[in-house]
Amino acid sequence: MKKQNFVRLTLTYLVVLIMFVIILYPLAWIIGSSFNPGQSLSGSSIIPENATLAHYKELFDTSKSNYVYWYINSLKVSILTMLFTVILVSFTAYSFSRYRFVGRKNGLMTFLILQMIPNFAALIAIYILAMLTHLIDTHLGLILVYVGGQIPMNTWLMKGYLDTIPKELDESAKIDGAGHLRIFFQIVMPLATPIIAVVALFSFIAPFADFIVASILLRTEKNYTLAVGLYELVAKQFGAEFTTFAAGAVLIAVPIAILFLSFQRFFVSGLTAGGTKG
Amino acid sequence: MKKALSIFMMVVLVLGVLAACGPKRETAGTNDTGKKEETAKPEKLVVWEDKDKSGWLEKVAADFEKEYGIKIEYKEVEMATKMRDQLRLDGPAGTGPDVVTLPHDQIGQVVTEGLLAELKLDKEVTDKFSQSSIDAETYDGKVYGLPKSSETPVFVYNKDLMAEAPKTMDELYTFSKDFTKDGKFGFLALWDNFYFAYGIIGGMGGYVFNNNNGTLDPEDIGLNSKGAVDGTAYIQKWYSEGLFPNGIIGENGGSAMDGLFTEGKVAAVMNGPWSFQPYKDAGINIGVSALPTLPNGDHVKTFMGVKGWHVSAYSKNQEWAAKFLEFITNDENAKYRFEQTAEVPTNTALVDDPAIKENEGAKAVAEQSQYALPMPNIPEMGQVWDPMAKSLQTVVTGKTEPKAALDSSVEQIKANIASTK
Amino acid sequence: MSKDLSYATSHRKKALILSIIPGLGQLYNKQFLKGASFLIMSAAFFYVFYDLLNIGLWGLVTLGEIPFTDHSIFLLVYGILALIVLVFGIGFYLFNLRDAYKVGLSRDNHEPISTVKEQYRNLIDNGFPYLIMSPGFLLLVFVVVFPILFVLLLAFTNYDLYHSPPAKLVDWVLFKNFVDIFKVDMWRQTFFSVLSWTLVWTFVATTFQVALGIFLAIIVNQKEIKGKAIIRTVFILPWAVPAFVSILVFAGMFNESFGAINRDILGFLGIEGLPWMTEPIFTRIALIFMQTWLGFPFIFAMTTGVLQSISQDLYEAATVDGASNFQKFKNITLPLVLYAIAPVLITQYTFNFNNFNIIYLFNGGGPAITGQNAGGTDIIISWIYRLTMTSAQYSKAATLTMLLSIIVITVAIWQFRRTKSFQEEDMM
Repeated sequence: MKKQNFVRLTLTYLVVLIMFVIILYPLAWIIGSSFNPGQSLSGSSIIPENATLAHYKELFDTSKSNYVYWYINSLKVSILTMLFTVILVSFTAYSFSRYRFVGRKNGLMTFLILQMIPNFAALIAIYILAMLTHLIDTHLGLILVYVGGQIPMNTWLMKGYLDTIPKELDESAKIDGAGHLRIFFQIVMPLATPIIAVVALFSFIAPFADFIVASILLRTEKNYTLAVGLYELVAKQFGAEFTTFAAGAVLIAVPIAILFLSFQRFFVSGLTAGGTKG
Repeated sequence: MKKALSIFMMVVLVLGVLAACGPKRETAGTNDTGKKEETAKPEKLVVWEDKDKSGWLEKVAADFEKEYGIKIEYKEVEMATKMRDQLRLDGPAGTGPDVVTLPHDQIGQVVTEGLLAELKLDKEVTDKFSQSSIDAETYDGKVYGLPKSSETPVFVYNKDLMAEAPKTMDELYTFSKDFTKDGKFGFLALWDNFYFAYGIIGGMGGYVFNNNNGTLDPEDIGLNSKGAVDGTAYIQKWYSEGLFPNGIIGENGGSAMDGLFTEGKVAAVMNGPWSFQPYKDAGINIGVSALPTLPNGDHVKTFMGVKGWHVSAYSKNQEWAAKFLEFITNDENAKYRFEQTAEVPTNTALVDDPAIKENEGAKAVAEQSQYALPMPNIPEMGQVWDPMAKSLQTVVTGKTEPKAALDSSVEQIKANIASTK
Repeated sequence: MSKDLSYATSHRKKALILSIIPGLGQLYNKQFLKGASFLIMSAAFFYVFYDLLNIGLWGLVTLGEIPFTDHSIFLLVYGILALIVLVFGIGFYLFNLRDAYKVGLSRDNHEPISTVKEQYRNLIDNGFPYLIMSPGFLLLVFVVVFPILFVLLLAFTNYDLYHSPPAKLVDWVLFKNFVDIFKVDMWRQTFFSVLSWTLVWTFVATTFQVALGIFLAIIVNQKEIKGKAIIRTVFILPWAVPAFVSILVFAGMFNESFGAINRDILGFLGIEGLPWMTEPIFTRIALIFMQTWLGFPFIFAMTTGVLQSISQDLYEAATVDGASNFQKFKNITLPLVLYAIAPVLITQYTFNFNNFNIIYLFNGGGPAITGQNAGGTDIIISWIYRLTMTSAQYSKAATLTMLLSIIVITVAIWQFRRTKSFQEEDMM
């Protein structure tokens, strides 16, 4: 029995070790490249011979690079997307969890499914709509698109969580004379913190993955978000600035990774509550 | 019964409403008729110049304003794809520019879409430019733009690794055989990209569309002719013998090649004039010359690209925009633009100008241009790039033989042209 | 009909008929505030939207009549907006009719009509869910529904390079695009080849990431393992780094001649340059590997959560019964984990089905293969992108989107119906 345990644990540690290498190697490689002199991928190595901070300096030099603007724009877009998403999703999820209304049964599913339909062929329509509403080249237009895209999935997640909060709580509050809004803000929402945290995180990082809609709606380079700006750095067929890209990527990845790790405990309680308690 | 009747009534009502809908128009097509002799002078013209190239406009725009009293508002838009895409969207929206700049191979396409206005120019204006560059700006017998610069791939070499440019491809081949080892390469080119590969294919006798006295015939495609097959086989040789690495094939090939060259690991490359400055910035001591001659004794018949200034069909001030075009492409301003951007103008008066003649890059481009062919500008050309890139890629990776690959792409090009008609 | 006889008055009928002009019925029912606001709202509706409805509906039917003056695509967009506005309008109109009829009915029954204050309370009570949902709903209509309507309609037009505004008008062509895709050899071959790879990709990549995530969560959760916090932190990292950054870095690492994988790792193992970027099968393997790398942390985090909430009593009872570790895993752990994360699994499959970023950023759908319109690793969504962006085949792209949607919708409905969240509708 002892021996069997020993073998099992050794194997486990071995697997963990292999995974560490597979996970950390590419990450180390990005960090390594960002300190490499030169611009190209082919010349960079994981441990640079003449390590340099030049690419970081270049990024922060606003006369040479718009990176600082992109960073600010991305933060702005992400934070506002997060804020609006959390508010709207809490409202809709609460309605779906606690009220009966027309469309309750299939409404959410319909939107979840509709959202899976790719909208590349409709980019021109989104553009025209943005133009009619004067939202071209504004961050507000982009934020609205992102928030709209975040609603169905997150509403679904949050509804699952709210369903696990006993309804007796609201009912007793109602008997005590609390109004709809008071029940929502003072009773249900505080109990839903884990899932709110998860929704907030998801909606915060979502804008970082999109460079298609953003590049259609945003026109001026100073208005770009990080995803668009960085993508253009490497997407050039000639003269791609890979190492600068790497430096830019490190500067986004580090704060987001920290954010993720600090939210880690919420995933567990937030995402799986509906499953295990049910 | 009642229900059916009410549904019927609803349908009738809806149809009635629909029939009554529609914009009120005095007479059909009023907008197109009766263009006034001289439209009122606008306050400003909006100009889109290529990315990182607008610096020179500061002075020239001020000169234009001084002379005509029209303000010029300029903005940088990347030229290869964004210019066209944004014109498509912004034009009809009414927020578009008056003047754009486009590579000439897009002209057929954008004119088919109706995005550009025809230019009615005096002969003395068009005569200022080389004939081939005006041809490039002409589609269906009408001139749609004034040439701003022309470019064609040339031979760029690292003077520290190669004393002087070879005269023939055979010499280059021998040099490369010798030099290519330990991560160093004698000569690299993106011959899986049809733009660069055409130099070889065309030089060996292949052609894209047959030229019938000035009009290109999209029915007659010469990309699987004997010359094209020979050219492709020659291209294949460089890859199959390991002189070109697989790492420069495909989407990221260009940046891989540039990277190697700027690290001093490549003696020479085939590349366009846009690469000169980045190479110099990377500290490479570059020399530039026309491309070496092919084994059959002919010159490499590279594609020539002409960049031109155009007037948007959506512009409300087309006459004035055309005046602006004439102004910025006159000899004086074209020269100033060359000094600022290093893009070589096609004004005939400037060919012997010392500023251009003594510039090594400009001289090489001018020499290579003599053997170059303007890229076809008919819209059917849009159907050629992708299938050709595919067959070249499968050839250089050794998966198909040149003849079979080219036959299959020509078939696909023809099918694509037929299906979109 | 016979029911009518039982009432002495017919307020409901009169109110209903008067409500053909919204508000009049309410006024008739002596609900003056409500009636007035209905009247004003309808007037405002027509005043504000008259032009849009007029041009939009006309444009939707004709797609424009005069080239250069009418821009078909803009008209199509106006048309869809007009439709959306119209649906809202009709919804309001029906509500108005129903309201007038219902209040009339109460009057016929000699029930008291609610006062303004009661109406307000009523609105707040029954309308509360609608009220708090409407901002989100409106946004969804414009961000999700509107583009889909556009694509749906576009699939029935001939919008491509040669039928492109302003020079040309776009026309309705009914099912021509659908017929073309199945009838024209090149389209059909490409469609089925892309579809089959899309399905393989979705299935294999997702299954790998899920299996790896669950496997790692279980082995890390063994109680003898030390340093759980660090291990879990590292395992979450691939999720925390923005995916497009990782994919672009992988694209660099997989470069055949200069990438770290061929040069450093495989070179070290004595394997010579594998054609990651030029041979479809290798690109596919690389893609699946990358997606596993990118996707497993999410499953890992969720499974870890589930494992921690499984009561230890279950295992102890099983141990007493003499169950082996494997039996415990098979009969307790796995069923519980799968049950808990099932809804998320479906979203993982649909996510990969539409995983444009990885395909596009890694190798642009390449490498090239001859004889078809798409690259060797193009999935349907990246093929649609290619058609729209590089060859201006807008209507074909829209048609493919519709075909793709049919598949997605069928599978998703079938799956969602089986999961818990949608079966407990009767819980209240």
